[in-house]
Amino acid sequence: MAALRWPGLLLAAMMLLTAPVRAHDIPIDAVVRMFVKPQGQVLRVLVRMPLKSTTEDMEYPRRERDFVDLAKVEPFLRDAAEVALLNSLDVYEDGRVLPKPRIASVRMSLESDPSFYDYNSALAHVLGPPLPDSETLYWEQGVLDVLFEYPIRSERSYFSLHAAFNRLALHEVTTVQFLAPGGVSRALELEGDAGLVHLDPSWFHAAGRFVIMGFNHILDGTDHLLFLLCLVIPYRQVRPLIPIITAFTVAHSITLIASTYHYVPDVLWFPPLIETLIAMSIFYMALENIVVQRPSHRWIITFCFGLVHGFGFSFGLQQSLQFAGSHLLTSLLSFNVGVELGQLLVLCLFVPALNLLFRYVMPERMGIIIISAIVAHQAWHWMVERFAVLERFPRPSITAAGVRSALGWLSAAVVMAALLWLTSIAIKGWTGSEQQETPKSY
Amino acid sequence: MKDLIRSRNFLIGAGFVLSLAALVACQTMLDHGSAAQAQSQQAPRYVVDPLWPKPLPNHWVLGMTIGVAVDADDHIWIIHRGAPTLSVHEKQIDNNAGDCCTAAPPVLEFDQAGNLLRHWGGPGPGYEWPDSNHGIFIDYKGNVWIGGNGGPDSEILKFTKDGKFLLQVGKKGARRVAGAAAGSGEGAAAGFAGGSNDLLNFGRAAKIFVDPKENEAYIADGYLNKRVAVLDADTGKMKRYWGAYGHKPDDTPMPPYDPSQPPAQQFRSPVHCADMSVDRLIYACDRANDRLQVFTPDGVFVKEAYYHTNTKENGSVWDIAFSKDPEQKYIFMADGVNDKVRIIDRQSLKELTNFGDGGRQPGEFHAVHSIAIDHEGNLYTTETYEGKRVQRFLLKGMAPVTKMDQGVPWPVSN
Repeated sequence: MAALRWPGLLLAAMMLLTAPVRAHDIPIDAVVRMFVKPQGQVLRVLVRMPLKSTTEDMEYPRRERDFVDLAKVEPFLRDAAEVALLNSLDVYEDGRVLPKPRIASVRMSLESDPSFYDYNSALAHVLGPPLPDSETLYWEQGVLDVLFEYPIRSERSYFSLHAAFNRLALHEVTTVQFLAPGGVSRALELEGDAGLVHLDPSWFHAAGRFVIMGFNHILDGTDHLLFLLCLVIPYRQVRPLIPIITAFTVAHSITLIASTYHYVPDVLWFPPLIETLIAMSIFYMALENIVVQRPSHRWIITFCFGLVHGFGFSFGLQQSLQFAGSHLLTSLLSFNVGVELGQLLVLCLFVPALNLLFRYVMPERMGIIIISAIVAHQAWHWMVERFAVLERFPRPSITAAGVRSALGWLSAAVVMAALLWLTSIAIKGWTGSEQQETPKSY
Repeated sequence: MKDLIRSRNFLIGAGFVLSLAALVACQTMLDHGSAAQAQSQQAPRYVVDPLWPKPLPNHWVLGMTIGVAVDADDHIWIIHRGAPTLSVHEKQIDNNAGDCCTAAPPVLEFDQAGNLLRHWGGPGPGYEWPDSNHGIFIDYKGNVWIGGNGGPDSEILKFTKDGKFLLQVGKKGARRVAGAAAGSGEGAAAGFAGGSNDLLNFGRAAKIFVDPKENEAYIADGYLNKRVAVLDADTGKMKRYWGAYGHKPDDTPMPPYDPSQPPAQQFRSPVHCADMSVDRLIYACDRANDRLQVFTPDGVFVKEAYYHTNTKENGSVWDIAFSKDPEQKYIFMADGVNDKVRIIDRQSLKELTNFGDGGRQPGEFHAVHSIAIDHEGNLYTTETYEGKRVQRFLLKGMAPVTKMDQGVPWPVSN
């Protein structure tokens, strides 16, 4: 039955994408613009949405040739605002959902009207004169502008909203600009139903959100998990793992923060390069596990690869940084905390599982070789696939800007290498000859 | 001390310090060079987006792609000439000779991701579809305007975005004059003569622009006529028109363009664009005269500039788009003979640089015919003759102008 259903769904989707749009089709895409401004005891929410998204639900007054009868349209616009917007919008003050607002004003506007590019002009437009009755305009080619007014306790309250406008189009985006007292402005871009969004998050809300994000990110990333597995296979005790995991954490934090602050090459080939290097890092680690019984100085190579993985983390984080509010650094560090918690969980599972495996199923050395070989096999495939993507980008030509950027990165690499060298001297001095552990006999 | 100097660690540490010092010194030197370069001329930099748009469904292919426009949602609309401009090998489905391909509908809408959205067009009840589609424009109410430059095309059409017919201005065949010579150039056909002082009909209109402030449509009219005509955008009633330098247009046949001769006092067909800037100046493409003329909305001549004046026959000034900064500092000009997009300083009308080259790969052109710009400043071009495609060029910020001919804007580096 399922086998029959999927081709049907696929066919329906293809027809939807290629058929001429009729009056009652759901639009392919729609953008809803919102301004949210608390002022005194009132929270003003200005919304603009395309009326093409309402044709399924709405009837409207028409005059000759199906032009909208603008003299009679206001009640219908209020209905549209109620049905299409208010039914899908919840606004919260200090965690308490606010009652349905007053619809202070509605307007039908031309889609080319530029008023909604800032709050003041949007407000003036919505409260200003409507289009003249003589204007010739089709419903589907107009936009609905609405001013909602919510009674609030204080403009200093903590506001959040849940805008589930995803039914307005197959691909719907809501842009929200929150204008907090004191001139602070936050811009958000929400795809479809993005759930509850804190408009000006406190540091602990931002931190909480990013810890969860980091935790999920490490658990969702198979390549990061396999890299971790390779790191721990030969060292299944806490003490030798501490410098390795610390090196990985410090390194990926450096590049994650660097790329968030735009210290990253702004070129198309950089993300595929990093993805390829991540695959190489896994392959290298797996190979080292096979060739070397007890790799020494693993923390150094782990640090280098950690730098690469940090860039990888940042690619997944870019779209979410808008939820950090004014707590960018806190959010980044929280993301790292989430990543560490995820890593710890993975280690807590990997280490005992490997110990059990090597005790009861197969000898340790053979087990390390077999597991590493499987991981190396997968990493090799990733490496080849990702390199093929990378190769599609032409090699960069040498320009003054490119050379300057390369020199900057080279300087950073020299500083990093110097720090690593100093750290390794310090570790040697600290552990002295005592750190020479007796190699395990296999 | 000697022990210290000789020590391995000291040497490694000194190596790090010296390397770093050398790198910083090189960087500083380059920075000084860049600062000097930054003082020089800057212009917007573009790279081709080879992945836009996505492939068309239904084995559809484009014919001569003869117009492009961007609407308020940043959707890209194109018009093309369909089956009559496809070779027999491109429309095997029509001839029951194979599985590939057939012409797409004339009007196509794409989103920013390159997906095909609406598609419609062609003859229908209540209006006369042009023999040869030419130019597309989306006005401030979201209506779609279309011109035509086929032999009998003397009309322009207005539709809703869904393809519902709204308005026809001019009657097809109105320029028919028994025994009239064919003339020369694209769309030339015997039996038709220019009528640049006709208040009701056009002469193979090339492009339309609608001024939202006055609700007036400016018509680049055209391949047979030699004027810019201005209409009420709702009723289609003609309000005024003018020729080159603001003169009364004259349809007397002109000799072929010769750059060594004094400037022609009339437009030399086709008048290929008539677009308004933010400061309400009308820029008219006098294509075969290789010049751009600037007017007030009432047709008073302001200034002109010539581009690549050795370009004969089809001319160098095909279409323009204004940059998206508030002052519209730049004009992007399609030149379909030399296969370039010229970047022009709007105030001085001086060409700063250009990109593109002849060819069929992404970023190259074959007869780049029309150009439009979205709100992000990305450019869209369409190509006629055998070019038959639409391309997108992504804005990559400002860059110093190091040479006039940038060549193919391939996305090689930052």
